[in-house]
Amino acid sequence: MNVPLRRTAYAILGAFLVLIASATYIQAVEGPSLRDDARNPRVVAWRTGRQRGPIMSADGKILAESAPSETDSKLYERAYPEGDLYAHTVGFTSVLYGSRGIERTRSTDLVSNRDATISGVLNGLLGGDTKPRGVRLTLNHALQQIAAEALGNQKGSVVAIDPATGAVLAMVTYPRFDPNDLVGPDAGLVGEKLDADPNEPLRNRAIDETYAPGSVFKVITTASGLDAGLVSPSSEFADPTALELPGSDASISNYNGKVCDNGTSVKLELAFVRSCNTVFAQLGMDLGGNRLGVTSTAFGFNVDIPFELAVLISFFPPSGTIQNDPPATAQSAIGQRDVRATPLLMALTAAAVANGGNVMTPYLVDEVFTSDGTVKSQTDPSTWRRTMSPASASVLSDLMEQVVISGTGRKAAVPGIRIAGKTGTTEVTGKAPHAWFIGFGPVGAGPDIPQIAIAVIVESGGDFGESATGGSVAAPIAQQVLAAFFGV
Amino acid sequence: MTRKAEAGLIIAAALLAAIGVAIVEFTEGNWLDAQVALTFLAFVASFGGLHLATIRWASGASSLLLPITSFLAAVAFVEIYRLDSDMAAFQRWSLIFAAAAAAALLWALRDRGVAVLRKYRYVTLAIGVGFLLLPLLPDSWTIHGATVNGSRLWVRIAAPGTSRVLSFQPGEVAKVLITIFLASYLAERAEAMSVVDRKIGPLKIPEPRHLGPVLLAAGAAFVVLIYQRDLGASLLLFGIFIGMLYVATGRSFYVITGGILVAIAGFGAYQAFDHVQRRIEAWLDPFGHFSDAGYQTVQGLFAMGSGALTGSGIGLGRPDLIPAATTDFIFAAVAEEMGLAGSLAVLAGFGLLIAAGFGIAIRSRDRFRKYLAGGLIIVIGLQAFIILAGVLRLLPITGLTLPFMSYGGSSLLANLVIISVLLRVSHEERL
Repeated sequence: MNVPLRRTAYAILGAFLVLIASATYIQAVEGPSLRDDARNPRVVAWRTGRQRGPIMSADGKILAESAPSETDSKLYERAYPEGDLYAHTVGFTSVLYGSRGIERTRSTDLVSNRDATISGVLNGLLGGDTKPRGVRLTLNHALQQIAAEALGNQKGSVVAIDPATGAVLAMVTYPRFDPNDLVGPDAGLVGEKLDADPNEPLRNRAIDETYAPGSVFKVITTASGLDAGLVSPSSEFADPTALELPGSDASISNYNGKVCDNGTSVKLELAFVRSCNTVFAQLGMDLGGNRLGVTSTAFGFNVDIPFELAVLISFFPPSGTIQNDPPATAQSAIGQRDVRATPLLMALTAAAVANGGNVMTPYLVDEVFTSDGTVKSQTDPSTWRRTMSPASASVLSDLMEQVVISGTGRKAAVPGIRIAGKTGTTEVTGKAPHAWFIGFGPVGAGPDIPQIAIAVIVESGGDFGESATGGSVAAPIAQQVLAAFFGV
Repeated sequence: MTRKAEAGLIIAAALLAAIGVAIVEFTEGNWLDAQVALTFLAFVASFGGLHLATIRWASGASSLLLPITSFLAAVAFVEIYRLDSDMAAFQRWSLIFAAAAAAALLWALRDRGVAVLRKYRYVTLAIGVGFLLLPLLPDSWTIHGATVNGSRLWVRIAAPGTSRVLSFQPGEVAKVLITIFLASYLAERAEAMSVVDRKIGPLKIPEPRHLGPVLLAAGAAFVVLIYQRDLGASLLLFGIFIGMLYVATGRSFYVITGGILVAIAGFGAYQAFDHVQRRIEAWLDPFGHFSDAGYQTVQGLFAMGSGALTGSGIGLGRPDLIPAATTDFIFAAVAEEMGLAGSLAVLAGFGLLIAAGFGIAIRSRDRFRKYLAGGLIIVIGLQAFIILAGVLRLLPITGLTLPFMSYGGSSLLANLVIISVLLRVSHEERL
């Protein structure tokens, strides 16, 4: 009489074993893929829905903030009040595209520490700091705005740095995008459009793009010559219309196709102020590819720049590759051929001259503060590289000041402030030239130490097109930023 | 297991619920409040009270049932509290009320035992069938049926003079009454029904007139399916009939015929009803029907998958995103926040309860008591399996509550009454 009861019991208990197997499969095997499925609303909640701390500019402007969602009381919504201006630095947290920028690098500070980990629970129980922390950037909102306005709708980038500390004061790129669109309900559509946009608005041109530096690179070639004791400002160079490159049919001529000075000889000082290619190509060949390579590496070419955000490595032909190739050496010495640099590295190059040859490690986060406003950690400025002797830096500083006083960089001049600079107009095959300007101010020492170094690049001539030069397009942008910085 | 151990485990379950509530309060940023104490007291009052009633009126009863049910109820209560504290407050009262009803039943049966249920079997059947059909009452009546989520399972009583409405699911009670009837009916007829004269091949066929009950079962289940649009309840009802026929006769013929009938009815329903069709398709490919029929299944899978091995932690997951998280999908909510560890504890709890229930049936000497205990534990086991299999994607989703765990007074009442009958049956073997 009990046999059918037993069999029924086994059948039902067997069915429960199948349930156990199924639960194990769903939770242990399929678990990770179910958890990360983009349709899983928890992904939204986890990535973007948690309360995150504020991100603010150095002058206290809120750049990212969390407010309780109106549709779901358990969720927070992230907003970027300044729209596209900080899209590439502050970044965003999006369900579909994950996190970028500071939102990514500082997410452990920005999100709440009250989590399910043992340390999180203990932290909460012991009355520790469980609220999200805030991040204060080095970016100056006023400067950032001026830089964006000055750049306008021209593709390119502006980077400003405090040469004494490495703090990044402004970092603007164009074209931009509004991170609020990537958080909102149309994130997918907007994201696809941004991805497909040939103008690459998602790219941070300040650090995620390299350009041939052109004449701006003459700062490094000159530094190499000064440090080697090979030249001084008064060194004389031949002044041909075009410099014949040995071992080839090629030649290098100056920007306007004319001689630099009088056609017989020219001093390095004047050649620098007028940015004569012939002289610096010759200096490059005199130094040799290897020595130029060593100096470039000292300035930060071919190495990773330690920075909050990933920076593309800038390129100079490594030792040995162009030593026995004078034409290549000559072209590399004036920042053409295969030489490529990020605008950030060019800003650091200006900063190196400004800071007596010392490059400080660039940084974007000034401090992390807790919810009650106390500072939890602060960035200590540190030296990244020694590029040249203080004496060479001092000489270069004078040369660069002359560029702004009487040379190609006159449009960067700020009344009452001693500004130093160097222009660059990069030849790009089949396109209008890139316009460069790097500089700093105020020139001097002691209490008047330089407070700002800047790099500006406008791609393909910007609004000027074929007729663009660094002096006509990039220098005026730098001028506006510098003038605003010094309150002129 | 001794009565002392039983009492200790009930206190442990009450502590489990109270600590769970405290954790929910903590994760929501609150400090401990009266809810923790109220929860502890409600569990002690209901299960502790039932424990005392057992000592008083069924002293020989199995001491396995109450600890397991209180554990299942405690785990689920924490999730219900976490999802909706108002629902949890109502659930506390439901628990006390249902336990009081179960204790009252122990008191009522104290002298004459379950045999009294056998006597009034046709009254039981009439009330059971009546309850089953109650939701079909027209909407305009004071006591009327109500359609919720496409199924007509609910009965509402409008309290005169106020806007308050009392809702209950008579089907939950009906299944108990019908099981009592079947146990009584089969206790008399089983021997006749198991006599076999004919054979078709290896399959032994009973007298044609004994097929009556099977067809009756199929008919009742079909009525429920068509008029109340409730797959789960009709499958459960049919399963109880077939299961009890098999338990009583030992004839696999009933199981095979039942299986064939389910297959035919299922295929017919698939062809005839759009809502059945949608459910089946959503079951086969829930992600393909993500935005409509498969939504609930997929949300359940997301919840369980996100819970992974150890869970998100109580109060830290998002079970509020699962439709019907406090009722049909309470298991998914537990699985999300307590992880596979919690899921397996719940499944093991049900396994132990079912094993204990069948143990009571197997040890019963009296045929009626044996069928009664067997039938009632089949009700709990089958109901838990059907809804859990739906949540775990082994079967299409059917709207059924998970015994002792889902939010709802009717379900708690019916299932605690089942426990109280099982307690009484196990007690009577010791007399």
